[in-house]
Amino acid sequence: MELFDLFNYALGIRALIASILVGMMCGVLGCFIVLRNMSLMGDALAHAVLPGVVLGFVVAGSAVALGIFAGATIAGLLAAIMITWLQHNAKTKNDAAIGIVFTAMFSLGVIGISKVSRKGAHLDLDHFLFGNVLGLSNADLYLTAGITLYVLLSVVLFYRYLFATTFQPVIAETMGIPVKVIHYYLMLLLSFAVVASLQAVGVILVVAMLITPASTALLLSNRLNWVIVISGIMGVLASVIGLVVADVYNAPPGPAMVVVATLMYLLAVFFAPKKGLLFKFLYKRKTRNRIQFEDTLKQTLKLHERSSLSLPNLQERLGFNSRILKYNLSLLTKKGLVNTKNNIISITEKGITQATRLVRAHRLWETYLVEEMSMDAGQIHEEAEKYEHVLTDDILDELEAKLGYPKLDPHGAPIPQNEYQPEKPLSMLPLNATAEIAQQQLNEHLITRLWQLGLGPEEVFIITEIEDNYIEIKMGRELVKVPRTLANKVNVVKLGEQVAMG
Amino acid sequence: MNAISIKGLSVSYDRKTVLTNVYMDMEAGKLYGVLGPNGAGKSTLFKAILGLISSNTGQVLINGEPVEEQRKKMVYIPQKGEIDWQFPATVMDVVLMGRYPFKGIFQRLSQEDKNIALQALEDMGIANLRSRQIGELSGGQQQRVFIARALCQQADIFLLDEPFVGVDITTEKKIIEILKQLTDKGKTILVIHHDLSKVKDYFDKVILLNQWLVAYGDTEVTFTEENINRAYRGQLSILHRTTLD
Repeated sequence: MELFDLFNYALGIRALIASILVGMMCGVLGCFIVLRNMSLMGDALAHAVLPGVVLGFVVAGSAVALGIFAGATIAGLLAAIMITWLQHNAKTKNDAAIGIVFTAMFSLGVIGISKVSRKGAHLDLDHFLFGNVLGLSNADLYLTAGITLYVLLSVVLFYRYLFATTFQPVIAETMGIPVKVIHYYLMLLLSFAVVASLQAVGVILVVAMLITPASTALLLSNRLNWVIVISGIMGVLASVIGLVVADVYNAPPGPAMVVVATLMYLLAVFFAPKKGLLFKFLYKRKTRNRIQFEDTLKQTLKLHERSSLSLPNLQERLGFNSRILKYNLSLLTKKGLVNTKNNIISITEKGITQATRLVRAHRLWETYLVEEMSMDAGQIHEEAEKYEHVLTDDILDELEAKLGYPKLDPHGAPIPQNEYQPEKPLSMLPLNATAEIAQQQLNEHLITRLWQLGLGPEEVFIITEIEDNYIEIKMGRELVKVPRTLANKVNVVKLGEQVAMG
Repeated sequence: MNAISIKGLSVSYDRKTVLTNVYMDMEAGKLYGVLGPNGAGKSTLFKAILGLISSNTGQVLINGEPVEEQRKKMVYIPQKGEIDWQFPATVMDVVLMGRYPFKGIFQRLSQEDKNIALQALEDMGIANLRSRQIGELSGGQQQRVFIARALCQQADIFLLDEPFVGVDITTEKKIIEILKQLTDKGKTILVIHHDLSKVKDYFDKVILLNQWLVAYGDTEVTFTEENINRAYRGQLSILHRTTLD
């Protein structure tokens, strides 16, 4: 079998090891290239090393691998410097400057190769364009291993600096981090990675090994350290699988690796948890179904209250087609919220409770929009229709406390009340009574609301005025007006009998 | 001693002058509003204070020392639009950045650094959100993350670039409340601000710029119609003017 043959040969083993190293290194480094929006720069450096490779080859003599490495690195850095210089000084657009420099250098390299070839030396343009992973020498492999180690070590050691300068370069600068030095250091690492990858995948495809696994990883995780690890693993998988596939189907290894990496990327685009298209689609559908379900329940309650609950009325109010309506009604029946015996619809106790919660959410949100966001009563219904489905009980309790337990919404409709009644509400105290705020209150949000009025637990006060809308109390020298709706919910402890009663 | 002292600062980019001959002293423990029309040099003033402009003339002293000596003591909180909210960084990652200036190249973050960051998150009431990705937070929470990073850096001087853009009014009030609490603890805070109607409620002092320093001082004394007109040179609409009374 061919596969067997491949790994029996030293060449095959070397190719495998080199692929693993290059996949890992490009995957790791690629994360920063992608996050810095420098994909084009990665491609540019890959092409721009070519004249350096030729020059290194010519000058180096016997130490070919080292000569090519040195030449390529210098050419890569030179390209990075020229690009940055043009961008800042010649007022050329960023991507145009990149394009100009790398195509020029690549052309020089191609011309150089043709000249060298004519002199009878062995330098094959094809190998540089598309890689020649099966033609690796031991020296090449050692160099690749050394470079990989260096790049990975750099990323680990300078992780903080790379993170800070990638995420917020200006902030990094205010912290005294040498942003420009880091930029050029990254360009150096990028040149290293390009040289090491030349033989595996070639000039034209290096950029794929840099950006495709990284883009895959970015779809799979939200934490940079994990993104880097996943990207490294993706790079290794792509290059190893690509190599094996290439061997089995007798295809060129470099392009095979890129195709595998791209397939993995596409899988992530569709099936990644949270960020994948399938997940988004399912989530959207689930939300839509829940909204339909809740709307059906709410309209059932409303029609029930008007004693006009029937299938045609429901359908008219909801505007669903009958298939969707029947589906939702059967779902409601299954959950014991609605009864549909003998084709007569009725709502159960449990259904009323749940539907009332939706009404409460809707009306509280409308009240909030009008009172806190100064929106017009005419424009809030649509907004509340959306939010009634997403507000949690906790947020509703907070809203209610913040708004001072309102009884009516902006349209004058009653807001369904939380049934809770405190043991001894503030509103029940007579004039001149002395009392203190109880430790026990309805919930955290009420306590927060009281804090905002300057009323902490065990704060002693006297009732000084009782009006329809509010109750005025005196604490020390301070007078506070507590809205009556809020006073209804505040639990107090009345102090001794000697207190004067109104 | 003044928190920030600016002596004869001039800045120009590409032969275009952005700030001319600014002399100004800022007291510690005050909340400053930095006001002026577009292109007035508000951001440039921030950059100069942060030591990000090398080509300026004049001098900026922080706590009586050159900027380079006091970098750690200053934090810059950029506009929301300048931040890549999709970046794979958690709240904790961002707040821990506040410890970077204290670390040498090869030093790792210690447990103590993490404790300081956690304390800052708790002070801002967002410790429970620490493993969230920053894009998953609400506008107000996002602002708190960056204020927490400033606390984590134990900075004295906060520079905020339009912190209220894109946040709702309730959140805006909460942020101002937090900033006021910080000034009570002796922090000096500069806020680039656009909405003139809130200036009197929000700031202890104002700085009015229009490529030169138009006026600065206590809000009550300095934030006058005359000064505002000089800063905005008639660019103010009637709508703005009526809100000043």
